Amino acid sequence: MIKTNYMKLKSYLLVAVSVLAFVGCKKDYLDVNTNPNQLTSATPSFVLTGALNTTTQNLVLANETGSYFAGQWTQSNSYILSATTFSYNITNNDFNYWDGMYDNAQDYQYVIDNATASGQPYFKGPAKIMKAMLFQYIVDMYGNAPYTEAFKGTAALAPKFDDQKAIYANLVTLLDQAIADIKGSTFDPAYASSDVVFKGNTTNWIKLANSLKLRILMHQSRVTSLQSYVKTELNKIAADATGILTADAGVNPGYIATDGKTSPIYNRFGYTPAGAAQSYGRFPRVTKNLFDQMVATADTFRIKRLLYAVGGENGSNPGVSVKAEIMDNYKAVPYGVSSGYTAPSTSNLGPSIIVKGKFDAPYILFTVTEAQFLLSEAKQRFGADITFTGTAQSYYEAGVKASFKLVGSTDAAATALLTSGKQDADFTASTDKLKAIATQKWIALTHYAGIESWTEYRRTNLPVIPQMNTVTDPNKRPLRFFYPGTEFGSNGANVTAQGTIDIFATKLFWDVD
Amino acid sequence: MKKIVTSLFFAVLCSIITANAQVRPVTGTVKDEKGRAVASATVKVKGQNSASVADENGAFKINASATAVLQVSAVGFKSTEIAAKTTVVNVVLMSEASELENVVVTAQGIRKKSKEIGYAYAKVSTDEINVGRSPQLAQALSGKVSGLAVYNVNNSVDPQVKIVLRGYRSLTGNNEALIVLDGMQTTSTVLSLINPNDIENVTILKGGQAAALYGSAGVNGAMIITTKKGAKGKLKVAFSNSTNFEQISFLPQFQDQYGSGSHYATSYGGAGYKTDYLARMQDNWRPFENQQFGDPFDGKDRVVGRVAESGDKLILPYAALDNQRRNSFDMGVSTNNQVSFQGGDETSTFYLSAENQKINGIVPGDKSERTGIRLSATKSYKKLTVGYNASYSQAKYDRTTSDFYYNIMNTAANIPMDRMRNWKTDQFANPNGYYNDYYQNPYFSADNYRTSYQDANISGAIELNYKATSWLNFMERAGIMNNSRIQKSWTGKFIYSDWAKNSAYVPAPWDWANDYDGIDRAGTDILGAVSDYSRTENVLNNEFQAQMNKELGKFSNKLVLGYSTYQRKTKDISVGSSSVVVPDVYNVSNRQGELSGSESNSTERKYGYYADLTSSFNDYLTLEGIFRYDYSSRFYKSDRELSLYAFPYYGVSLAFQATEAFPQIKSWVLNDAKVRLSYNKNGNDNMTLYGLDLTYPNASGFPYGNNVGLTVGNTLPDNGLKPEFVTSYEAGTELSMFNNRVNLELTAYSSQSKGQVITVKVPNTTGFSNLLINVGETKNWGYEGDLKVQVIRKGALKWDLGLRYSYNDNKVVSLYPGIKQFLMSGYSYASTNVEEGKSFPLLKSTGYYYSATGARRVDPTTGYPLQNTAMVDRGSTLAKHMAGFSSKLGYKNWNLSMNLEYRGGNVMYSGIGRDMTFTGSGKWTENRTPHVFENSYYLVNGVETPNTSLNVRESEYSLWVDNYRFIAENFVNKAWFIKLRDVNLSYSLPASLVSKTKIFSGANVSVYGRNLFTIVDSKNFFTDPEFSFTTGNGIGINTSLQTPPVRQFGFNVNFTF
Repeated sequence: MIKTNYMKLKSYLLVAVSVLAFVGCKKDYLDVNTNPNQLTSATPSFVLTGALNTTTQNLVLANETGSYFAGQWTQSNSYILSATTFSYNITNNDFNYWDGMYDNAQDYQYVIDNATASGQPYFKGPAKIMKAMLFQYIVDMYGNAPYTEAFKGTAALAPKFDDQKAIYANLVTLLDQAIADIKGSTFDPAYASSDVVFKGNTTNWIKLANSLKLRILMHQSRVTSLQSYVKTELNKIAADATGILTADAGVNPGYIATDGKTSPIYNRFGYTPAGAAQSYGRFPRVTKNLFDQMVATADTFRIKRLLYAVGGENGSNPGVSVKAEIMDNYKAVPYGVSSGYTAPSTSNLGPSIIVKGKFDAPYILFTVTEAQFLLSEAKQRFGADITFTGTAQSYYEAGVKASFKLVGSTDAAATALLTSGKQDADFTASTDKLKAIATQKWIALTHYAGIESWTEYRRTNLPVIPQMNTVTDPNKRPLRFFYPGTEFGSNGANVTAQGTIDIFATKLFWDVD
Repeated sequence: MKKIVTSLFFAVLCSIITANAQVRPVTGTVKDEKGRAVASATVKVKGQNSASVADENGAFKINASATAVLQVSAVGFKSTEIAAKTTVVNVVLMSEASELENVVVTAQGIRKKSKEIGYAYAKVSTDEINVGRSPQLAQALSGKVSGLAVYNVNNSVDPQVKIVLRGYRSLTGNNEALIVLDGMQTTSTVLSLINPNDIENVTILKGGQAAALYGSAGVNGAMIITTKKGAKGKLKVAFSNSTNFEQISFLPQFQDQYGSGSHYATSYGGAGYKTDYLARMQDNWRPFENQQFGDPFDGKDRVVGRVAESGDKLILPYAALDNQRRNSFDMGVSTNNQVSFQGGDETSTFYLSAENQKINGIVPGDKSERTGIRLSATKSYKKLTVGYNASYSQAKYDRTTSDFYYNIMNTAANIPMDRMRNWKTDQFANPNGYYNDYYQNPYFSADNYRTSYQDANISGAIELNYKATSWLNFMERAGIMNNSRIQKSWTGKFIYSDWAKNSAYVPAPWDWANDYDGIDRAGTDILGAVSDYSRTENVLNNEFQAQMNKELGKFSNKLVLGYSTYQRKTKDISVGSSSVVVPDVYNVSNRQGELSGSESNSTERKYGYYADLTSSFNDYLTLEGIFRYDYSSRFYKSDRELSLYAFPYYGVSLAFQATEAFPQIKSWVLNDAKVRLSYNKNGNDNMTLYGLDLTYPNASGFPYGNNVGLTVGNTLPDNGLKPEFVTSYEAGTELSMFNNRVNLELTAYSSQSKGQVITVKVPNTTGFSNLLINVGETKNWGYEGDLKVQVIRKGALKWDLGLRYSYNDNKVVSLYPGIKQFLMSGYSYASTNVEEGKSFPLLKSTGYYYSATGARRVDPTTGYPLQNTAMVDRGSTLAKHMAGFSSKLGYKNWNLSMNLEYRGGNVMYSGIGRDMTFTGSGKWTENRTPHVFENSYYLVNGVETPNTSLNVRESEYSLWVDNYRFIAENFVNKAWFIKLRDVNLSYSLPASLVSKTKIFSGANVSVYGRNLFTIVDSKNFFTDPEFSFTTGNGIGINTSLQTPPVRQFGFNVNFTF
């Protein structure tokens, strides 16, 4: 009997304990819903750093496509020719740089919106400059795009598209604001490392803003109705004592020899952190027409910087080709040719951008050489109407010299080219100055600014680039991209409102002929 | 019930007080529930030794006092007790079998009689599960339950499955059934770890209504697995061994006419273009190509690859080798050994089993092993019954991470794969000398890129039942499951020789002007990599119930009040290095550069209160009402309103036993008829964990050293996120006819989900790519029919047939305003989508431009087919029709069982088709001679003109690689199939023979097969329609990453002691 009672007691106890243990949960039992994996708040300095680096990751891909369409690069035949790039087999699922750039621009918008409240007002200006740069690229690739209604989250889930001209005009204003913002706040040197472009040098940011304005204005310089506006705005830049870039603006977040943390160019076309060649390095090749253009002007200096000799870089002597660096050992690939030019039998991209072990070269956002060529063209087009003090020739020569410096050659070599007496090299000897400017700019931007090169090609139709082998119609060239399928799928009405897009016929507003 | 219990109570009480009450003879009969006499039943007076045995008519006679209690027992029947108050006592014994058959374990372990259940369920017994000796439970259920789709999406030594009941309901959330193991809510992990032989039965609760008591987890139905607990009786030991072989059942169709070659011939328009296609093909041939667009095999000697460093050349006849691709795979062999012990007495039972299974897969080097033990036991102490079960299993997998299948496709039919296995010793198999310039030797890759992981799973539960009074029972069940995985993945280091990099050449007379020295892929050394990963998952589950039974007049009532809590925690950690310094040492410390790593944690909690009231009137009309109130941490924030994270829901069902209510309709034709109806509203917290927060993750690449960079997250959560609700209706009938020889069950159902928590794609121009919001309405409906027929019952001959059919479809009623469709998964040219007004997942792909007569447009100059880049609907990827057919034939000691399954009404896209068009290995690319593209037309000034004479320009290459390949419609097929899921022929040794051994009490041998044949659409050249590149919702797209389908066969021996 006692035993039974004991058993009974035990079982009651068991039931009671389990009931007590599990019944009667309170609300705080549920309080486990705080994200343990990711931050749920941020500060502008961290976001700006992240955004600047993301911009370079976006640009490396867009610039690659630009380099192909600008006739600077083509493809080796170790791969089947990419039908999208080299047969213009393009759909609205191809070349979607849109999503990445909007995503990136939203980070800049976050900085613009939160910098003052977070006590970091000095980041507002740089964020605006970068936002302007991204939108300049977006317009140059897609034309009309959401601008005023963009980045509003649920407040505008189907942002309307703004006219491309209006966006361009807005960008100039945005850059003016950026300069004012920078001048109106004092940089806190404690945050110098967050500025992975200029390390807190605000003067350089203003120079970048001015250079970008110069680019945006010169893009429109052939639009008759906008010429007086362009001149007025150019003169505003001329009036700003800060001036334009005097050193290449490059991003370096502190690249390290770790997978995914090397410079994006090195990572894509160069080597793994441990030093194995990236297989994609076998893909892009300098075109024969670019190569021939340099051969024609005896520009062997830059050939040997833009290309490695066949056989590629010597791993144990970085920056130097395996084979002797004589002209016979350099081989470029005819534009869009589908056979006969395998990777090992042609020249890799050269030491100006790929040197084994040099994984930490800054990713260049804006080059001095480009700024100089922009000034040269401005002077050449508008002459005395604009108040920059130099001449078209002086800016041209400064541009060529900056290009030689950029690729790692010498002033003396540049001077040799400038005084060679060759067309489109020696300014004085060139019969068509605008052609000379465009041609040299085209060479100078090779490897550094693909999208910009494609834009300049579309805008000026210079230099003359032969059609790819794979395309039968000699005049069929992509003039822009389709709006991406992602935007069409989720913002269909606004995309449709832009009319039918024919990427071979629908020109951007600055593409006047 | 109550009467019996009280009389029992008094009987027990009185027997103590009046120990010497007067004894008199008591007579009676023992019958079964159908009124048939039970011969040889034992009748015993409780507490005494006197006993009597019933005669062949069931009649018995025993001496007992009026206060005595008779205990009646018989083999195959449940024992019962009855008071001997009168001198004539008639006893009805319930057969154990029918008791088991009629009692169903429903949601939350509540046992119900079949006739009380107002919704559809199915029960699969251990015998049915083990017909094909499948090592995994999920596959063993394929085709055996109407409305249940088991997708075998991949076949490797670690096969992946997806289990869906009644199709898809949720657009982006979980559509998989809840898995319950012995009352414990677990995850699908257990399906690959549990030994199918340990399973007593599986009950499938097909709809959300059935599983509503499980809370939101049960919204997609539930699979309730009950393991063996042991049975009363002497110790029974069983041993079983199976040996199983597997071979590829289905490979894509390969061409075997052309060898290695690519587009080396001058293309059209180029200087030196050759007009003769044979001459172009000749130019296209290269000994080092992965593509197979060379000239036709001619049987003459040619070099394969380049000259090796030793100066040797591999010169072989240029001719296809028989079955070369199929022979590249191994014959898989697996063995399974297991032993089980069970037994029990009046108050306790136990079951113990151990299992070991070893699998060597069809991909060379891939293997797995699983070892498990399970123990369960019950013990009764008067009012308290204690039960527990515990299991531990561990599984080891060792697999390649390389795409072996794809690598095989990149190998022409003339390459002797047999000798390529020994890459360490054979210079032409070694990466330095392997012929293919673009892809590694498949065997080298299989060895060099590997992952191995080990899973350990402990799970267990205790269950206490305390019968407080005759009408009140308390149940408490606590369960745990702990899974851990440790994994190491590595890439071996391989540095190419200088010869391979710079000097290996193609020897004359096979050399060409633009060949170069050096193997193309050798430019990239393989520097090795290692990553180490571990994951733990811990699930706690507690259930407390008060169960009350009370009869009120003609109403018998059962009320269950319950309280349940659930907690799941996971942690994942990985570290890795992208280099290895010393070869073959795979530890992240053996590295150059930084460590990479990540960490991810999750905790979720839920609790809920529920009530289930079942009321039966006169045993023929049962009404069940359920109510549950759930709290979920997924929607909880301290500042959120209660109504956003706590949600009530309910359901009601009705079961009507027409033949009992109106006995006059009963006849030999109609023995039993039941009608059931149910309505339900289920709440569901189907949302990503931590989805309420907008996050600011590290920007890509960060941190760079000390530099931190963040980015604004891409998924914007809506402020008012709350659980979704699913309303479902179901009606059905169950008929038993022709003296119970024919059973027919029919069900129709429909469900509607509103306010699903969906990640909606929003334009990136909003600053976000996705918005997490309650939107959308979907409908899901279908019909199910199950027919079981006892065809023959003649002496020793028994033949049963079963036929199951189900139809299911769904529809997206509405999405978000302004959003008519979004992409689920796939590629830019072929993808699964959700689109308003259509069923989902909807396959869309690029295709042809068709004329009014269905001809395909070609380019008027080149003759190449033109791609219509618009994404056109191809249909739903979810099978609408599913049918199962089973047959069970028994004669004396022989048994032959089989199950067939059909699924159809859906479409699939085979990525492998595109890949094989690129490589030129697909048989469909065989037409390389100049020809007019079949059934085509072109436009002349906008007029459709039939194409009768315009040949495609370069039929030997460009047609296929540059044109045909991009038209995704070419690889879209009807996805129907018929499979012989399993077949088993077994023979039980006669008892007379077995008993002579004095060791065994039973012995059985069987041969079996699984998926012995598969029939697919005649245009499906590609793969098994069940396969998919995902176990997510976007099913219906496959790639070369799935290990090809196999057929399996083997033999099994079983001994019981």
